[in-house]
Amino acid sequence: MAKRRFNLAPYLLILPSFIYLVLFFAWPMGRSLQLAFQKDAEILPVRAEIADDAAVVGYLPMQIEVAITDRERSEETLPNGRTRPVYWFKIAGESEDGEQVEGWVNQKYLQVQSRTESTSARVVSGEGTKEWTLDWIKRMVNDHNFMDALTTTLLLLILILPLQFALAITMALVLQARLKGSTIFLYIYAIPLGVSDLAAGLVWVNIFTQHGFLNTFLQKLGLIDSPYIFLSADNKHWMIIAIVLAEVWRATSIVMVIVVSGLQSIPDEYLEAGQLFGASLWQRLRHIILPLLRPSLQVALILRTILAFQVFAVVVALTGGRVITVLAYETYRWYDPGDTGFNNPNVAAAYAGFIMLISLAFSVIYLRTVRTQEEAASS
Amino acid sequence: MTTAAQKRTTTRSVALDAAQRRALRNLRLQRAGVYALAILIAVWILLPIWLIATMAFSTQADVYAYPKQIIPVPFTTATMDFFLNYAGILDATLNSVLVALITLVLSTAIAVPAGYAISRYIFPGRNSYRLIILAVRAFPIVILAVPLAVAFLQWGMFDKVYSVALMHTALTLPTTILVVSSVFASVPVEFEEAARVFGASPARAFVRVVFPLVLPGIAASAIFTFVMSWNEVFAATLLTVRNRTLPALILYTLNKSSLQFQYAGGFFMLVPSMIFIFFIRRYLFNMWGQITK
Repeated sequence: MAKRRFNLAPYLLILPSFIYLVLFFAWPMGRSLQLAFQKDAEILPVRAEIADDAAVVGYLPMQIEVAITDRERSEETLPNGRTRPVYWFKIAGESEDGEQVEGWVNQKYLQVQSRTESTSARVVSGEGTKEWTLDWIKRMVNDHNFMDALTTTLLLLILILPLQFALAITMALVLQARLKGSTIFLYIYAIPLGVSDLAAGLVWVNIFTQHGFLNTFLQKLGLIDSPYIFLSADNKHWMIIAIVLAEVWRATSIVMVIVVSGLQSIPDEYLEAGQLFGASLWQRLRHIILPLLRPSLQVALILRTILAFQVFAVVVALTGGRVITVLAYETYRWYDPGDTGFNNPNVAAAYAGFIMLISLAFSVIYLRTVRTQEEAASS
Repeated sequence: MTTAAQKRTTTRSVALDAAQRRALRNLRLQRAGVYALAILIAVWILLPIWLIATMAFSTQADVYAYPKQIIPVPFTTATMDFFLNYAGILDATLNSVLVALITLVLSTAIAVPAGYAISRYIFPGRNSYRLIILAVRAFPIVILAVPLAVAFLQWGMFDKVYSVALMHTALTLPTTILVVSSVFASVPVEFEEAARVFGASPARAFVRVVFPLVLPGIAASAIFTFVMSWNEVFAATLLTVRNRTLPALILYTLNKSSLQFQYAGGFFMLVPSMIFIFFIRRYLFNMWGQITK
């Protein structure tokens, strides 16, 4: 039992983690949205009076013609003690929203023929500001790789998840059978938990490459006469298959661990009861185990889906990222300041935001689907 | 009456014996089947690792040979040597170890108090805090990397080992907090209370009673944190240019590196992970099991 008296201690204990997550999680998330939806712009603030700190009556965009309705000459003292004339102009022009703006600006923002004579001027500079924009989103969506990346990512998800869950449940049931030497099996099945996506990609390059083990194996069986080039641009489906196998190989263990801990919470009596009434393994699986595992499977499903949207290094290792592209690779490519990248963090942030959006959308869909199923079952 | 009953039980037990024998045979058959399945799955996981290890310890000629042989004969460390002596690999390995160590220390130091709080206290906001941690853990890390890279660039923290570690801590912290809290939850609070009854201060009760009991679990969680950081590629690639971590360097050089380099690199990255997972294998289910509840 936990302590019930109110005190400050728990808050002090969670404070460091809270601060850390605000600094390195909440803040970057906000900043990411800012990068995706804002751009630098210059805009000219027009003042109510002749002073740099006077109230702003409106803003004018760059490179427009404005009418000069009044002017005021004043003196500016330079550091060396000499003075020089500085003009302020009262100008009238149209703002971006089509509103008429009239007020004072310093001469430095304008291009004027004659400071004493001209009746019109051109706005040439202003102050840096952030402007809301959909430019980056548009650039992302209109990029010819966008649809490719999205469909490939979704295709991988659809191909990988069913295989992964079937294998994970099988692995969990095998471990649950408590065979002799099951601790060894447990360790072997858990190994991929520690394998990085990059290492997994390289492991499968070794198998699928032209002079690799798959070709060796097929040739030994007499199925092929000469090595087949699986990982080539003409064989996109083989690239997809290689990625699916590598991902199933690498990322099934985490699902298995979640399923095993779910299985452990099912009371033995339930399974024994099923066995007593003569239920076959399949019937027990279908009617006892899977329904009781549902919460665990749901957690695993959400976790794996979100991770699947971030699939990256496996794809790069097996395909170089050019032929088959995925959302995370596009994020990387738009950010990358190197030779192959576009050095545009704004579009990269747009991609990152998009990945977050579909992750959220899928999580909500999963949660809702399971709930409606439960409602249907209870009614 | 009695004889009839006796007769019935005896005949029934004979009949059961036959059924039992059949059941036993079926059970044995079933067990053999499960064994075969278990071994098949083990081969599925181990074979690819064996094959890359074969390449990592083959001669250069054998790496490019076709058809491939399944055991590294002649055995040589030439390929591994080639990889380890490749320019920048040693520095990158050092960077990776440093990043992972900083991440481990930072993540564990912040997670232990937080994990203790949510396992030992009931306080207003506890559930929301747990929910936030769960949500944060599920969030795509890809989103954080881009803005943090941009911000680190502005703050002069770009391309630094500690910056990558700060990022990795954000990545591992939620998991570490949940794992640590489940470790604390496995130590009955009565132990702590008993120590208090015998006059120990709260701090002393924690250090002398609770701490020794949770130490193995926390060590396991720290090791897992290390592995997560050692393996992380995406953020490390975005945040570094010269001070690459090992995965970042290997990824960056992929399209210009040789197959020997890739196989040796892949194997080299696998080894520490495999060793660490071996040490923490007993804790994996406790760790991840608690999180899903």
